[in-house]
Amino acid sequence: MAIELSTVRYRYAGASVLALQSIDLRLEPGQVVGVVGANEAGKSTLCLVASGFAPRVVGGRLEGSAQIDGVETTALRPHELAQRCGLLFQNAATQLSTTTASVFEEVSFGPCNLGLPVPEVVERAWWALRAVGIEELAARDPARLSGGEGQLVALASVLALRPRYLILDEPTSELDPAGTRLVADALVRVVAETGAGILIVEHKTDVLERIADRVVVLERGAVALAGEAAPTLADPRLAELGVEPPARVRLERGVRASGVPWSDRLAEAVR
Amino acid sequence: MRLRASSRSVAGAPSIEFEAVSFAYPDGTQALAGVSLRIEPGEVVAIVGQNGSGKSTLVRHLNGLLRPVSGRVLLDGADIRPVHVARLAARVGLAFQNPDRQLFAGRVSAEVEFGPCNLGIRGMELAERVRGALEDVGLAGMASANPYDLGYSRRKLLALASVLAMRTPVLVLDEPTTGQDARGVARVQDVVARAAAEGRTVIAVSHDMRFVAECCRRVVVMRAGRVALDGAPSAVFGEAAWPELRAAHLEPPLPAVAGARLGLGATATEAVFVAALNGPGGTRGRT
Amino acid sequence: MTEPGTAATRLPDYVVRRPAGFYRSANPGTKLAVAAVEVVAAFLLPGWLGPAVVLAAVLATAAIARRLRGLATIGLAASPLIGSILLINLFLLPGASDPIARLGPLAPTWSGLWFGFETTARLLAFSSAVALVYLTTAVDDLLADLSRRGLGRRATFVVGAAVQMVPLTMARAGEILDAQRARGMDTEGRFWRRARGVLPLAAPVVFGALTEVEERSMALEARAFSAPGRQTLLRIPADSPADRALRWAALLALAALIGLRVSGRLG
Repeated sequence: MAIELSTVRYRYAGASVLALQSIDLRLEPGQVVGVVGANEAGKSTLCLVASGFAPRVVGGRLEGSAQIDGVETTALRPHELAQRCGLLFQNAATQLSTTTASVFEEVSFGPCNLGLPVPEVVERAWWALRAVGIEELAARDPARLSGGEGQLVALASVLALRPRYLILDEPTSELDPAGTRLVADALVRVVAETGAGILIVEHKTDVLERIADRVVVLERGAVALAGEAAPTLADPRLAELGVEPPARVRLERGVRASGVPWSDRLAEAVR
Repeated sequence: MRLRASSRSVAGAPSIEFEAVSFAYPDGTQALAGVSLRIEPGEVVAIVGQNGSGKSTLVRHLNGLLRPVSGRVLLDGADIRPVHVARLAARVGLAFQNPDRQLFAGRVSAEVEFGPCNLGIRGMELAERVRGALEDVGLAGMASANPYDLGYSRRKLLALASVLAMRTPVLVLDEPTTGQDARGVARVQDVVARAAAEGRTVIAVSHDMRFVAECCRRVVVMRAGRVALDGAPSAVFGEAAWPELRAAHLEPPLPAVAGARLGLGATATEAVFVAALNGPGGTRGRT
Repeated sequence: MTEPGTAATRLPDYVVRRPAGFYRSANPGTKLAVAAVEVVAAFLLPGWLGPAVVLAAVLATAAIARRLRGLATIGLAASPLIGSILLINLFLLPGASDPIARLGPLAPTWSGLWFGFETTARLLAFSSAVALVYLTTAVDDLLADLSRRGLGRRATFVVGAAVQMVPLTMARAGEILDAQRARGMDTEGRFWRRARGVLPLAAPVVFGALTEVEERSMALEARAFSAPGRQTLLRIPADSPADRALRWAALLALAALIGLRVSGRLG
């Protein structure tokens, strides 16, 4: 039971250059894997390939094996992919269907598209709202939400399809610190409530330090570093790979570099 | 032919004053509720606050895109209300958050030329400005590239370059680091430092508290359309200001929090924190 | 607040909202059928008496449904058009030879006046019949009813999204305008300067629209929009025997009108 990419190479339609050079990646349910890297390292492409949207929805050529729970993504139709793996993007507003008058209807949009009977649609909608922790937003107008709230609604509306995995491409990049915290908290809650496996691309390594189990660093379409979150985010090679380490790591590095010995007291202070 | 040695310096920056400025959008949302603020020439100021606190609204008053419903905006003591936006653009350059709402040309150089051309710059002066601006943002070899072939980071830097080329005495940056990777953020920090060294007034609207603490000498915290805090980073991120910061839905950067926990005083940046640790009140020699 | 147990299976009230009031609570399909008859009658009935009757019917319905002010606003917006049609016919009707008076080179004619009344009456009747549907029906309800009657999910989505996209697109265009003005593009000065601003305004709007379409369609796919079969409808607008009767009556009237016209009895 996993999303498994094995020696995956991918090229966008009409492109001469490989966007992904040779990727091996495994995402299991209940895990949170963070993806970092300089811009244009292939992080967004990785999201599309891991969810099966590339090549199924956006075209392009895939070599190697991309499987979700043992089934090749190329063998699945888009609505089947959506029920196995949820995909979320940066901009909350463009992810709204714009045809619904309440958050509840917005979250029901997916199940309605599947043609499920009304009682099941309703049950799934409430389940998704609860899993994300936004039942109190159910009556609100989707067009009038803050950025952070909008991302939570997008999360719930994708979750209503009951995917086993969620892939998020820079979900907090357009949010203020409060919105970022909202989304990070919601992701922790979703993993706990649903056991979903999450792949999240982020520049804000502080967020990953908090919620990720593993971190993968991409460079020019290939995996440059991978491992458990804490040691990987503290790796000194991160800077030359175009990634800003978390504040805690930077502070500790600065202190050690100045000759002051590191202590438990200092570790506690920067927690 | 050598260009003037001082061709990079900028005509004297004006003083900026908001006099009890209030603004409400046509749909009734009250965005600014009586803001009074004075910014001296050459200051490097950060405007921070939650989305909806009024920070973007405030800076759009600086070049006339928005006009106060009540109150005045003064540049060098003169009310800017009767001045057209196109003319204010020569004195106040505003780089927007989303580069894709701005880029339109087929070549990088054409994009950067747009601003100065509108201001009447031609010939060698124009070429020099374009070259200088591209170099400042790290796009030096890309003059003939198509902007849409560049990734998001570089498009954002290109948009910044197109405003830098206008050589305005006042430079306003709206969320310059959102969506940027580490290299992009470093470039933006360089741009701010260089602009300050040239004597320009720099105003940055930002969510990134680390960027704010490291680059800006003054921080203005906005909440619900009013100024809640105003001072140096050490003051605004110091422990005494934390309740007000939290009420504005902001968190102080980690060095400030760590410094407070260790009783080191106001340590808004890593460098200050490390220096304080090494200093007389620090922990050198203690475990 | 209801307990979590009951909430888990209940469709919230605000989703099932039913509009209230005379004509407003009628089924959207019914209102469309009635409007169709009114529009056809406005054009097929001879003279200006026919259209005037239709207009009277529409006004009466609007009055009881308390939408008269909305209708008046729309009428006001259309008045320049109506006025100019009247004037054109009054003064310039070809072949008219019964002047009311001579005002120098201009000669308003009686035939022109009557014909003008007729044309404007038809126009007013037709547009007010359509406006009445718009004023008494929410877009959501209309689309839900059409979906129930078999309109595909793509068509439904396009209409619903188009309505919401207008303010979004305008906001984006406004931002683009601001960004270019901030770089010195002149929008308040001489016209020839402003003409140079076409590409800097058009290009980002177009590219932004294309990118946004791409992002939106991905978001739709991520919500199983392309799944086969019928979409579930959470809300179905009410339909009563009175509605059905009215729709049948409207369709019969429509058939009668067309039949009479075709057979020449309507002149």
